[in-house]
Amino acid sequence: MKDTVMDCNAVFPDRITACSAAGRLTARLLRPAWQADAPPLVVLHGISRNAGTLARLFAPEAERTGRTIIVPHFPEQTWPNFQRPSKAARPDQALLALLDKIAADIPGVSGPVDIFGHSGGAQLAHRLAMLYPHRVAELHLVAAGWYCLPDETMRYPYGLAPGKDMASAKWARRKRAALRDFLHLPTSVYVGTQDVTRDAALRKLRALDAKQGPHRHARARTYVKVLNAAARAAGLPARARLIEMPDCDHDVVRAITQNDLATRVLDARASGISTSSRTITQIQGDPT
Amino acid sequence: MTLSDILEQAKWTFSTRRVDRTRVAATDTDFATARPGDLILAHVDRIGQHRRVQLPSGRPSLIFPGDAVVMACGARYAPDQFEGLAEIDPAGADLLAGGGCIGRMVARNSQIRSATRLVPAARLLDAAGRTVNLADFALPPRPSAPRPPVIGVLGTAMNSGKTLATAQLVLGLRRAGFRVGAIKATGTGAFGDYNEYCDSGAHYVGDFTDAGMVTTYLEPLDRIKTATGTLLAEAGHRGCDLVVMEVADGVLQRETAGLIGDTWFKQLVSGLVFACGDAVAAIGGVAHLAGLGLVPDALTGMISCSPMASHEARVATGLPVLTKEDLSDPAEATGFALRAGLGRKEAA
Repeated sequence: MKDTVMDCNAVFPDRITACSAAGRLTARLLRPAWQADAPPLVVLHGISRNAGTLARLFAPEAERTGRTIIVPHFPEQTWPNFQRPSKAARPDQALLALLDKIAADIPGVSGPVDIFGHSGGAQLAHRLAMLYPHRVAELHLVAAGWYCLPDETMRYPYGLAPGKDMASAKWARRKRAALRDFLHLPTSVYVGTQDVTRDAALRKLRALDAKQGPHRHARARTYVKVLNAAARAAGLPARARLIEMPDCDHDVVRAITQNDLATRVLDARASGISTSSRTITQIQGDPT
Repeated sequence: MTLSDILEQAKWTFSTRRVDRTRVAATDTDFATARPGDLILAHVDRIGQHRRVQLPSGRPSLIFPGDAVVMACGARYAPDQFEGLAEIDPAGADLLAGGGCIGRMVARNSQIRSATRLVPAARLLDAAGRTVNLADFALPPRPSAPRPPVIGVLGTAMNSGKTLATAQLVLGLRRAGFRVGAIKATGTGAFGDYNEYCDSGAHYVGDFTDAGMVTTYLEPLDRIKTATGTLLAEAGHRGCDLVVMEVADGVLQRETAGLIGDTWFKQLVSGLVFACGDAVAAIGGVAHLAGLGLVPDALTGMISCSPMASHEARVATGLPVLTKEDLSDPAEATGFALRAGLGRKEAA
């Protein structure tokens, strides 16, 4: 499903490029006129690679909240794969290098960051946080197609049981090593109530459907439930929340322009996740 | 030529890097009383195994018969090269290590040449007539500095892959966003390992020479423990989040065995990597460490070059076998940091 196309010719003069073993990554940097005492927010696009649109939509929020917003762009040509760290691509390493570069170049922009990711960006965001929980302050995941569940009954990359090959066993081990720290993270999972289409971009496997649900809405609910169950099993507070956006499908532009998604994400830190929105309903903890 | 001229023209070796050369005011030739760490001026007599010495700048320098070199009196334990003692024979001494260690060779690996021979010229003294010793220039103790968590790197033997593992883990941790110290707790002063740690981007690099010793061989265990504490305190003072610490040679070597067999070591390390060359060495090493109450988090080293040997070791020990690429991968290295307690604080 495509996102709404917007005119994104607005000029964002602050761009920053970092090089790493994984390759080069450039991001738009939204620096507000004033700086709030809060971590930067990294905004990760999905497979439509609409970094320009997201930067434009989040720009007013940077000014309103005083938060630095970082919008990386993974171009098709150099990053045909970017949704999850794997043998094919290491977007995690590129993002770490980008954050290090920003921290080195800009005083006061260091430490853990909040991460927002939509669709494939949410896929990357939660996997990044599973590997590097120390680099993440809060997670905002919007309608990932599927998730890596903290569940050892499901094989990697869908869960944390070692897969059939050495590589997946390695990735599962790495994520298990960081799991307890990951479960500490406040995680908001957003999904439209109408995000129920089994479109061409959605991964469709019988085992995935059975374990996580048939569509993004169901999979988001499953993810929050499993995340909170894993936290409780580890003796930790359940910190994942499902936020359902009424009448919203998979279009992130509409979610931002009609459901105040960007505002909600930026305000979540200051006020906790609001339940008073006209357009967003929230389910605390496990979905029923 | 004055003493000052001679010392200015001499090749000061890497092990003397912390020395304030202005402290040298006189010399004597009482070599019989030379102690480990005393600075010795010697001339190259005959080139043998070492054709170069290592300079404080990090550059190797060719040496030629007649060259004046300033080194520290010391012992050496290097199964691939020499065993030597901190003794200076006025008639002739041996260049035990290119980093700047002069002494008497007592054993030599049959595959290498004899030691480069030196003729001792003088022992260096300060204005009060005291010998100038590396210990005079050791890092100051920093009792109030924080002690960062330590990931230890041990191995079966010299050249099992410990230094590469240390450097690559430093790289991985740095890529993951940590400020990492790299320390070599034991061995003989040389710039190879030191430079490799620096090249990996370690935030702080130190070895026993920074704590006042040219070598730890035959040094009392308490002195080595104190020196290690000094280096760790310095790493903490410099703001390191954690330290990767290599302990030289194999687990059976005298000082290494003493250190890792001490409860101090068990309490010190938050993580452990074991470098070895094959599956049998892995099994033996892991069993030996288990007897000391130590359990490695991973195996690495030369064994990791062979998928088949790695598989054997993994099956036999239950431990992952990490390649150098794994160690330098921030996704892998993060696990070491989190296990060392650098993750999120509990509760809140």
